[in-house]
Amino acid sequence: MSRPTVAFFELASCEGCQLQVANLGEELLAILDRIDLVEFRELLTERPDGPLDIAFVEGSVVNAECEARLHAIRQRSELLIAYGSCATIGGVNAMANGRPISEIQAEVYGDQAERFAAARVRPLHQLVPVDYFIHGCPIYPDELIKVLKAALAHLPYNIPDYAVCVECLLNENVCMYEKKVTCLGPVTRAGCNAWCINNGNVCYGCRGLVSNPNRAGAEAVLSRYHLDSRLIANKMLMYNGALEPTDE
Amino acid sequence: MEKIAVRNSGYQISRGRISRVTLLTETERLFTIVLQNNETLDHDPGQFVEVSRFGVGEVPISICSSPTRRDAFELCIRAAGRVTAALHRLKPGDEVGIRGPFGVGFPMTPLAASDVLLIAGGLGIAPLRSLVHYIIDNRRDFGKVDILLGCRDPQSMLFSAELEFWRQRIDINFLCSVDSAAAEWEGNIGLITALIPGVNLDPFKTIAITCGPSVMYRFVIAELLKKGIPPAHIYLSLERHMKCGLGKCGHCQIENLYCCQDGPVFSYPQIKNIRGALE
Amino acid sequence: MSGVLLYKSELCGLIHFLVADQTVIAPVPLTHGQFKFAAVTTLEEIALDAIPTLLPPKKYFLPPQESLLQYDTTQGEKMQAEVAIEETVLFGLHTCDLAGIQCLDMVFADRPKDLHYMIRKQHFTLIGLECNDYCDSSANCAMLFNHLPKGGYDLFLTDLGDYYFVDINTHKGDLLVEKSGLFVPVTPAAQDNLQKLRQIKTKRFKSEIPIRYQDIKPLFEASFESNVWTDIGAKCLACGNCTNACPTCYCFDIVDEPEFDLTRGKRLRIWDSCQHENFARIAGGENFRKERGDRQRHRYNRKFHYPMERYKQIFCTGCGRCSRTCMARIDLKETFNALIEECR
Ligand SMILES: Cc1cc2nc3c(=O)[nH]c(=O)nc-3n(C[C@H](O)[C@H](O)[C@H](O)COP(=O)(O)OP(=O)(O)OC[C@H]3O[C@@H](n4cnc5c(N)ncnc54)[C@H](O)[C@@H]3O)c2cc1C
Ligand code: SF4
Ligand code: SF4
Ligand code: SF4
Ligand code: SF4
Ligand code: SF4
Ligand code: FES
Repeated sequence: MSRPTVAFFELASCEGCQLQVANLGEELLAILDRIDLVEFRELLTERPDGPLDIAFVEGSVVNAECEARLHAIRQRSELLIAYGSCATIGGVNAMANGRPISEIQAEVYGDQAERFAAARVRPLHQLVPVDYFIHGCPIYPDELIKVLKAALAHLPYNIPDYAVCVECLLNENVCMYEKKVTCLGPVTRAGCNAWCINNGNVCYGCRGLVSNPNRAGAEAVLSRYHLDSRLIANKMLMYNGALEPTDE
Repeated sequence: MEKIAVRNSGYQISRGRISRVTLLTETERLFTIVLQNNETLDHDPGQFVEVSRFGVGEVPISICSSPTRRDAFELCIRAAGRVTAALHRLKPGDEVGIRGPFGVGFPMTPLAASDVLLIAGGLGIAPLRSLVHYIIDNRRDFGKVDILLGCRDPQSMLFSAELEFWRQRIDINFLCSVDSAAAEWEGNIGLITALIPGVNLDPFKTIAITCGPSVMYRFVIAELLKKGIPPAHIYLSLERHMKCGLGKCGHCQIENLYCCQDGPVFSYPQIKNIRGALE
Repeated sequence: MSGVLLYKSELCGLIHFLVADQTVIAPVPLTHGQFKFAAVTTLEEIALDAIPTLLPPKKYFLPPQESLLQYDTTQGEKMQAEVAIEETVLFGLHTCDLAGIQCLDMVFADRPKDLHYMIRKQHFTLIGLECNDYCDSSANCAMLFNHLPKGGYDLFLTDLGDYYFVDINTHKGDLLVEKSGLFVPVTPAAQDNLQKLRQIKTKRFKSEIPIRYQDIKPLFEASFESNVWTDIGAKCLACGNCTNACPTCYCFDIVDEPEFDLTRGKRLRIWDSCQHENFARIAGGENFRKERGDRQRHRYNRKFHYPMERYKQIFCTGCGRCSRTCMARIDLKETFNALIEECR
């Protein structure tokens, strides 16, 4: 079997997800054995422009430059994998969508705002067809491996459509609600093995919402625990600000 | 942890080699499969197997050939998702995993000596074809045979060459109807239920078997009852999400029934009062 | 059945004896008054006062993820069915959890048998521990008579003050008693004390829900169309915690996990939940239990109604885990009371 050519790209993002890949350790060696890595900023510096089998794209689209780059990558590559919440759902960047762009520009760049063009923050699939999604901020390494295996085998990857709570209980964590702390686990789609809760944090909902969340039910839970339901709205927005009604 | 081998595991597969792939329509292919190691699939029409490719997954598929044809068996597979699309990529010589046959098939004992009315909608022709072939191979054992087939349009009609052969036989009455068709279509247009009143049958001698999408059943059953066929003489095959085929995983459960083991073929009285069986 | 006594001073020795040649699993404390089953090596780690653990002991009988087959497709679809086993003692199982294991045993022994389960379970030794009083107010074990031992163990310990009364239920248990040399013969006083405790327990443990055992199945038959299911559905987040935490839930999925070379890998069985959105959806898109309320109704009927028909058993142990784990506070006792109220 010839090794497929693979490249990693980043649009507007913190490159934290690329770092996750670079930190894979032993698994990374197994991956490098199976693929021909041609572009990867964290590891390589060469930047050829030939056709690709698989392009991993991190980050969201925030301006015309990003948009042009994304289209160019899509043209070059057989498969396109959106990885990291910025790319899959807009992520933290999309918090900006809650406010007028000019206002944010003024806040960030002050009187230089004119010089930095910015548009509504969009996840990749709102602009080009995306073959695979790896949610998470940052991505969960085990899931990256699963998706890569699926892509190499030309099979779809089914993202779990149940709550983070499932994986949380499998890890036998004491529930955050027991500790009177708000956790977005019940409405966030699983796949990260409840990473944050395993490490003593709450779930921030970085993987996006399950396909049919019970919002009213979730709010009732918060009020029962005397937690502010605006909090959950805000928290949901933290990662899900770019979602359109047509998105899952 | 020590790993030990499990002999006769319910999950172990038999190796099946694909000997032929026939394109039926844009979305359906017919796979002819020969079990390796001199195994044979001893099935009843109406039963199903779990078909798999390692690394991809396993799906339940009705056996659409007759047990009278013993060297190989056939599966008609629609590309509906992950596993079925991957199966569509296979070529003659490739192997698949086979588990089964599973479940309760058509009522073969009471069917013999009865008049038989078969009503298929869409992909429902797949399991019924197994029965039709069985009847053809043992035609003397059965009374009058009527087959009604309904599908979306002439392009989506499965096994069209074979249907022509059924139509021409003097010992089978075959009628077919499509929901819609271009002007050159010479057959019936309309719902399959419209064909039932015209069938000439002796209700007490007839066993009716229907197989198709679940929306069809309520209307078909109403028509059959109007013809005076006793409820216990009506059988139907139900489709549910299935994983294990062994009555364990819970996916196929309809109230207290496990579709994979107690069905997929049920008599009408068996499920009449089971809520959630006939949507 | 015969009994022996184990002085509490010897319990430490018993654990020491057990860990010598096998894995010992027992409840250990977490924070916030919660517990889980985990491997232990000393008595100090064990919580003898544990309330039902976050996950029930089914996690050892039916692991959340286990390999059913190893495959190798370098020359066709080759495979080997397998099961992972380990000599294990489960210590400190309450009567509700023993009842849960008995339910799973029934399901997987039912034809067609699940040999993976049946082989694995033979490598377990089960040591029960009686509850002298309720674990907490979520429990409903007495309603189902699961507050008292009904078999399903090798040894069963009842705390009678300075010592445990130990019921020996199997030859395996008997061998353990003999080999360890830590147990002493029963005294008439101990017999007496056991009777007294059981009498006290009949006062402490009263059916938690105003319904008789024989009326439970009819209640669920009568309330299939009840509004209670719609009400619960409006609250339920479909997180599936109630089923994962339930000692008698066993729904699963089967998935393949390839290695990087894509030719070798494992076919895995993983826990699934009837509460998940896609659990009953088929290829045409039809979903046979679309509403959360439908799925909750299904869960309850799978405890109190359908198994009565198939296995002549109620598949609720009364452990209260589903109520404890549910952040939407869907409470088993409240559900019952609402159904009873409605059927009045
Ligand atoms: C008894 C029985 C007989 C069948 N006979 C045939 C047949 O003869 N020919 C044929 O083409 N199809 C048949 N099917 C349907 C076939 O099993 C499904 O199309 C197939 O399982 C879809 O799997 P997939 O991986 O391709 O799709 P996926 O990508 O997994 O999913 C597509 C959709 O199918 C649903 N689905 C997934 N797995 C199953 C499953 N195990 N059972 C039911 N739905 C599922 C999913 O929820 C999803 O909505 C039969 C099903 C049953 C239960
Ligand atoms: S801690 Fe969060 S993810 Fe875990 S069970 Fe509780 S709500 Fe769910
Ligand atoms: S626990 Fe929540 S926030 Fe953390 S990685 Fe998972 S989905 Fe993201
Ligand atoms: S634990 Fe509660 S919220 Fe979660 S699925 Fe069960 S009943 Fe619904
Ligand atoms: S239904 Fe609830 S109380 Fe009953 S056994 Fe399951 S988790 Fe325990
Ligand atoms: S539910 Fe009953 S048997 Fe189980 S731990 Fe609580 S008191 Fe003991
Ligand atoms: S398919 Fe698993 S129980 Fe029927």
